[in-house]
Amino acid sequence: MSTTTHSRPSQAEAHAAEIVREFGPFAASTPVHGVSYDGTRVWAATGERLLAIDPSSGEVTRTLECTCDAGTAFDGKHLWQIAGSRIDKIDPVTGEVMASIPAPAGGSNSGLTWAEGSLWVGDYRGRSIHRIDPATGAVQRTVETNRFVTGVTWVDGELWHGTWEADESELRRIHPESGEVLTRLEMPPGTGVSGLESDGADLLYCGGGASGKVRAVRRPRAQRA
Amino acid sequence: MDALIAASARALSAGDALGALKGVALREDPPALALRGIAMAQLGELARARDLLRRAARAFGPREELARARCVLAEAEVALAMRELGDPPRLLAAAAVTLEKHGDRSNALHARLLTARRFLLLGRLADALAALETVDPRGLPPALAAVAELTSAELALRSLRSAPARAALARAHQAAYRSGIPSLIAEVAEARAALDRPAARRIASGAEQPLRLDEVEALLASGALVLDACRRGLAGAGAWQPLARRPILFSLARSLAEAWPQDVERDALIATAFRTRRPDETHRARLRVEIGRLRALVKHLAGIEATPRGFVLQPRGASQVVVLAPPIDGEQASLVALLSDGTAWSTSALALALGDSQRTVQRAVAELEAAGQVRGVGQARARRWVAAPLAGFTTVLLLPASLPGA
Repeated sequence: MSTTTHSRPSQAEAHAAEIVREFGPFAASTPVHGVSYDGTRVWAATGERLLAIDPSSGEVTRTLECTCDAGTAFDGKHLWQIAGSRIDKIDPVTGEVMASIPAPAGGSNSGLTWAEGSLWVGDYRGRSIHRIDPATGAVQRTVETNRFVTGVTWVDGELWHGTWEADESELRRIHPESGEVLTRLEMPPGTGVSGLESDGADLLYCGGGASGKVRAVRRPRAQRA
Repeated sequence: MDALIAASARALSAGDALGALKGVALREDPPALALRGIAMAQLGELARARDLLRRAARAFGPREELARARCVLAEAEVALAMRELGDPPRLLAAAAVTLEKHGDRSNALHARLLTARRFLLLGRLADALAALETVDPRGLPPALAAVAELTSAELALRSLRSAPARAALARAHQAAYRSGIPSLIAEVAEARAALDRPAARRIASGAEQPLRLDEVEALLASGALVLDACRRGLAGAGAWQPLARRPILFSLARSLAEAWPQDVERDALIATAFRTRRPDETHRARLRVEIGRLRALVKHLAGIEATPRGFVLQPRGASQVVVLAPPIDGEQASLVALLSDGTAWSTSALALALGDSQRTVQRAVAELEAAGQVRGVGQARARRWVAAPLAGFTTVLLLPASLPGA
């Protein structure tokens, strides 16, 4: 099997995204670069601070001082965070950086998620998603899409990514092999998506870029093709 | 959105241009090019910055028009900082419209301000005023508000309205402090200091006295008949009679004003106006003609009466006659005084106004240009000269707020 697959023209019909809740902004002029979910809290990367948000109250319950420039992921135990040209493995209790691996070289890395023992990294302008080895950072395979990738998440065997191009944002479910677009959720005009994470159930959390907000969007139940 | 871009933007906003470059130095994608351009501009590498920003603007896709508009804006600001004013303003105008359309209000206003400043540097004051009137400084970010107030202060100063200039500078001062940008604070302080420097000399009854700009303004409003040797004309009772393009008439008027309330001998008038020490009957006839012309031009301000030995100035209504001279003597001071109206002058117009040869004026202008006091705009026959702006105009856009995709 080829490690690179090409996208086809998107066939999926666009639906309006149903925004269930909005959190933030949490402080003046702090953009949200990435989001994650650890089972109870939503984490938001804001440049120099990782914020843990209680999704029931919308309050920030914890703050970790660490460099966080783009996607965030949670592997069940640790947080993974893109910081400049590396990916840090962070202890969510102490905030300590336990290990670092290089982010895919030369890429405009944006968006990170954990699935089945691998990290998946979005390449923003490369319009692709890399699966990398969390021990070494080596790229294992690449899925190509046809839009800028600004967030990545896996849920129930579905690969979703956020896109933000020319002031238009969507949440897209794509075929993990072919890159074919299966579902499109259109965000309202002027709403950016930077960072995407599922809560494992019916919600997708997405970062709102410079607006400093985190939004929860309802995930449509999979229709089996 | 993109880790390295976000990290570099963070470094830039903390004033660490080198740190910002480190992250994107090897990247050629358009956001990285734009960021490198802005970092280079902050490091003072303006030519390189403009090249990078131009490449970034070209490289953004057709759907990324907001990012491209921001690059055009940044490039225009760098060009302005380089005093390269040749680029067509319609690119900038189109960028302003795009920025507005996408809700990027502060960058849209910034584009308008750049347009106004460009006109100001070109000596097109009416155009600068029109562009500035489309910018509402209220609600602007502090750095932009400071630049807007500086621009309107400069315009007010050029038209000798020191009270509005002072008020605009006070607002610019506050805004500059709020912005926290040291170069901008220094810029405003420099412009305020210019207000307190002597702008002209008052010569009356043989005595001289230096005047600040607001004192010049007060003198013009006092009802005195003022022979303005800075702007070359006669002012009184709110009226202004320019004589810049009539050097002989100006020279006669100045001689009469300096001698007032005494008269001036015919031979003395002939000596200064026609530059000859051996007058004959043809000079006397020519003097009668020129005095007749001057009399006709200034009749609403003053009369010119013949006396047994010459002519005397008789102001209408005004109780006194004052001569306003450039703050220091000399060819160059007269040139600077003429140019300080802020409009663009050709060498031939300057030569005509000063009654000197074009060659003399060209030499003087070249020396002033080397000293940074005047600036040439345009090439060859279309070349025009304008006074250096009172404030140097700090480049303030070069901040991450303008980053594509941010």
